[in-house]
Amino acid sequence: MSWDTLMQYKWGVMTPEFIVLGVATALSLIDLLMPNEKSRRPLGLFAIAGVIVAIVSLIGLLSVDTTSILYDTFRLDAFGKAFKLLLLTGAALVLLLAMDYQPKEGMKYQGEFYYLFLTALLGAMIMTSSGDLITLFVGLELLSISSYILAGLRKAHRLSNESALKYVINGGISTAITLFGMSYVFGLTGSTNLKQMAVQLSMLQDSGHQYVLALAFLMLFVGLSFKLASVPFHMWAPDVYQGAPTPATAFLSVVSKTAGFVIVLRLFITLFAAALSQGKEPSSMLLSMQDYIAFLAGATMIIGNTVALKQRNVKRLFAYSSIAHAGYLLVGFAAMSWVMIDSMWFYLAAYLLMNLGAFAILQIVTDEAGSEDISQFAGLYRRQPLLAVMMGIFVLSLAGIPGTAGFIGKVHIFLGAFATEPAHYVLAAIMIATTIVSYVYYFGLFTQIFFRPAAHHEPVKVPLGVTIVIVVCALGTIAFGIMPSLAYNFLDQFQHFGDFLR
Amino acid sequence: MMENAWIIPLFPLVSFFILLVVGKRMKEASAYVGMAATLLSFIGAVAVFAERLNEPTYQVKQVWFTIGNMNITAGFEINPLNALMLVVVSLVSFLVHMYSKGYMHGDERFSVFYAYLGLFTFAMLGLVISANLLQTYIFWELVGLGSFLLIGFYFYKEEAKAAAKKAFIMTRIGDVGLLIGMILLFWQTGSFQYDDIFAAVKAGSVSETMITLSAILIFIGAVGKSGQFPLHTWLPDAMEGPTPVSALIHAATMVAAGVYLVASLFPLYEASEPAMLTVAVVGGFTAIFAASIGLVQTDIKRVLAYSTVSQLGYMMLALGSGGYVAGIFHLTTHAFFKALLFLAAGSVIHAVHTQDIEKMGGLWRKMPLTAPLFLIGTLAISGVPLLSGFFSKDEILVAAWTNGHVILFWLAVVAAFFTAFYMFRLFFLVFGGDMRGDAHDVHESPTVMTMPMIVLGVLAVVAGYINTPWFGTFLGDFLTGETNVHEEAPAWIMVVATAVSLAGIFLAWLMYGKKSLSRDWLSSRAPLTYNVLFNKYYVDEFYTITVGYATKVLSLFLQYVDRFIVEGLAGLIASLTKAIGTLGSRWQNGQVQMYGAAMFIGLTILVVILAFTGGYL
Repeated sequence: MSWDTLMQYKWGVMTPEFIVLGVATALSLIDLLMPNEKSRRPLGLFAIAGVIVAIVSLIGLLSVDTTSILYDTFRLDAFGKAFKLLLLTGAALVLLLAMDYQPKEGMKYQGEFYYLFLTALLGAMIMTSSGDLITLFVGLELLSISSYILAGLRKAHRLSNESALKYVINGGISTAITLFGMSYVFGLTGSTNLKQMAVQLSMLQDSGHQYVLALAFLMLFVGLSFKLASVPFHMWAPDVYQGAPTPATAFLSVVSKTAGFVIVLRLFITLFAAALSQGKEPSSMLLSMQDYIAFLAGATMIIGNTVALKQRNVKRLFAYSSIAHAGYLLVGFAAMSWVMIDSMWFYLAAYLLMNLGAFAILQIVTDEAGSEDISQFAGLYRRQPLLAVMMGIFVLSLAGIPGTAGFIGKVHIFLGAFATEPAHYVLAAIMIATTIVSYVYYFGLFTQIFFRPAAHHEPVKVPLGVTIVIVVCALGTIAFGIMPSLAYNFLDQFQHFGDFLR
Repeated sequence: MMENAWIIPLFPLVSFFILLVVGKRMKEASAYVGMAATLLSFIGAVAVFAERLNEPTYQVKQVWFTIGNMNITAGFEINPLNALMLVVVSLVSFLVHMYSKGYMHGDERFSVFYAYLGLFTFAMLGLVISANLLQTYIFWELVGLGSFLLIGFYFYKEEAKAAAKKAFIMTRIGDVGLLIGMILLFWQTGSFQYDDIFAAVKAGSVSETMITLSAILIFIGAVGKSGQFPLHTWLPDAMEGPTPVSALIHAATMVAAGVYLVASLFPLYEASEPAMLTVAVVGGFTAIFAASIGLVQTDIKRVLAYSTVSQLGYMMLALGSGGYVAGIFHLTTHAFFKALLFLAAGSVIHAVHTQDIEKMGGLWRKMPLTAPLFLIGTLAISGVPLLSGFFSKDEILVAAWTNGHVILFWLAVVAAFFTAFYMFRLFFLVFGGDMRGDAHDVHESPTVMTMPMIVLGVLAVVAGYINTPWFGTFLGDFLTGETNVHEEAPAWIMVVATAVSLAGIFLAWLMYGKKSLSRDWLSSRAPLTYNVLFNKYYVDEFYTITVGYATKVLSLFLQYVDRFIVEGLAGLIASLTKAIGTLGSRWQNGQVQMYGAAMFIGLTILVVILAFTGGYL
């Protein structure tokens, strides 16, 4: 490939990725050359600035037509734009949290945190935009390997080490299964380009081959469910969430999960929507495998919500809560209505806001107390009424109470489950029933905050960065709850993500 | 004013925010903020009501957001029902705000209480002007939140915390029905807007099964909110909240929201025979069920709570029997006399510091304002002629009779008898006889508390005259837009209603008031014949042994049904959920090989299913 061909590509569409890559590289060099005793906080500001510039450049790219470069390995389509915006926003908020993260023994590897965080983000962004199995996989691994280290960054903390080790082992298994599934699909099509694969698969007539494809479908889904933290690959989440530094936990439960849904949507819709299945009436492979996903979605909601009832450790509680939310999102996927991607995008946006807001408060409360027991939230209302009300808003939104973004998100997914023919009654019923179960633990937290006496009355110190996160998240949660059209008008420009295969 | 009606709910919301931010510094002056806000709402509500009297229904709707090609609208509507509810809610809320200034005096979280009251009032006012189901649902949940916060206000009491949680979760179970019913309707008609739904129902574009299904599902929501059987158990427990809250939320406004919801969707219910029957039967059964439990309670607020459940049952019975006007009429009068009773009960509790009626007595002279006001409320709820409850209860009985629900009619008559009995039992035990407890230094409550009670007392007497067979059916004409909607009913119904009410009062007097009275009566009227004496005695004994005993057994039985079957079922579901949780966390043993194994087992199960089904389910 000569220099001239290389320069023909419209590299401009990769601007956000280049910015993140550049900042990550620069940060790693600066961190290396900086004297050890210097504070690493300015590096955090640099990282945030980088992410914000990336967001701005992405907004500039919104009007650009669907473009693909590098032989279709990198695509800038509506899907990529919309989800990258979520990833970048989430990342900026988590970075703000990380700057104010002060565990008991101090945060020794702050510099490492920032650039590993950015490489993880870069991996997620590449996944969002890739049109080829190879880049998709590289993005996935870049995200995963960076996250393994992020989870173990509190080196002196036993739980953090345990967390990282468990995460690596489970991640390894997941990668193996995913790759195995990918190899089947590759074997059937002889290509790694998603579009060409889709064409090949749509011509697959032999029922034996279709059977192998169905096997690949299951393996891919189970392998990727690791990233979603959904059944059957959800069990790592509580242990890892509990041990990891709180900003890393926030990253895993929001950004990494969003990336997981991104890859699932990208891969499954592209590959399997057009593939034929061997049903009595020929139909799409995706539709005929719908019930498996529905089954896993149901199991995820049930397990996430019921086991959460038993938790006393707030980070574990939020781990199970995040499993449950993955279940709700999977309902949107399993229903496969034509508003599927819109509703999942909205839910992920709402989830990002309410969960990061909750994590921000969780971080300062647990850091200060040095304990993650739920009782640390007791009497928060007496200590800091506004902070308590904010936490109340986030918890209500997570529970899906009207007036909040979480409610609109749930209603949208719920409506989606009814919008198809036949409607998914059972799935909708499980969603509702488990939502009620979730009230019990969310309101347990609520009761702690508002109805329990506080152990002491000193107000909680809220650093500036955390304040910004809380305010942004609370405003967003309420605004999307009362005026969801803000988000839907934004989504309108993407026209239901029809340019997926173009 | 109608085009600006949306501003009415905002006053209390502003009060909520003000108190949230500066409440701590304002201390008890917070009360004035809350009172001013609700007074403004009330004035606005009256203006809207007056304007609506002569003008057609006013509606505003705007596209709120769009999902695909489905427009979700937001807006408000001032129809007769909504205008009436605005006035009732804002009035009672204002009076309760005023009363609480005395009742909550000295509480260290005084301003928080007023902040919560503001939040609740905002939500309730928002609820009653909503023009579509989705908006109704949003406010419906918000009032639930307000109720939750206020029930748990005395959070240092373990029972209060438990009651708050129970109320929230129990009503939420009903809300699931509402949500599903609402979405079914949306799916069928493409709109949450009430008028669109009615138009679709009228045009016959929704199948009858679907109408029935969605109507019954929505009714489940109303059952939860209005404390109807079998989701009623949270309401008596909710009495752990401060008494003004019980008056506002758990008597006059929020619990009536279920009735309001059914009334709002009345054209939908009318289109389905089975749905109407369900509403009538659940209402009728709840009326007698709760009334019989009320007979044996000894906590003043619990008696009133069961009475509320029973009266709400009456309203449901009315609606289910096609008595739209009757149901709303009773809702209105009940809001006044039940709020009065609760406020008067609060005044008593404030004075004697107990809720146990066995430890009260002899308060008639010591509380010269509370006692007669409580009596007015008691007379009104018992259906004594010429008071408000008499007219509205009569309407309901007429509705049940003309609709042909003979059994339900007689159940309602018996329930009316029970009501009169337990209410006067309460009255005699609290105000008659001598003090049985140790509170001797009893004072009447301050003016700020008695004033609202006097206003409600007047309303409890006169509110009935807005809709009577004698002077005109103003309310009915207003609500339905026709003139003289009162159905010609057999006159004996009114006679029966009066008779059972008086019989109940008489029996209560014999059993609880008689102790001193009957002895005087006997000694001074010696010439009366032995036969009459005997018969009197016989009636007394007869009632005590047969009716008294039978009802006691019945009410004990129903109480056990309540405790073991209804709560048992709820307990079973709860423990099943817990069991899954325990099982799930047992597998979470911290060993990483277990986690990997779980994944492989999961994958294997899926592959095995795939192998057996041959690739398609």
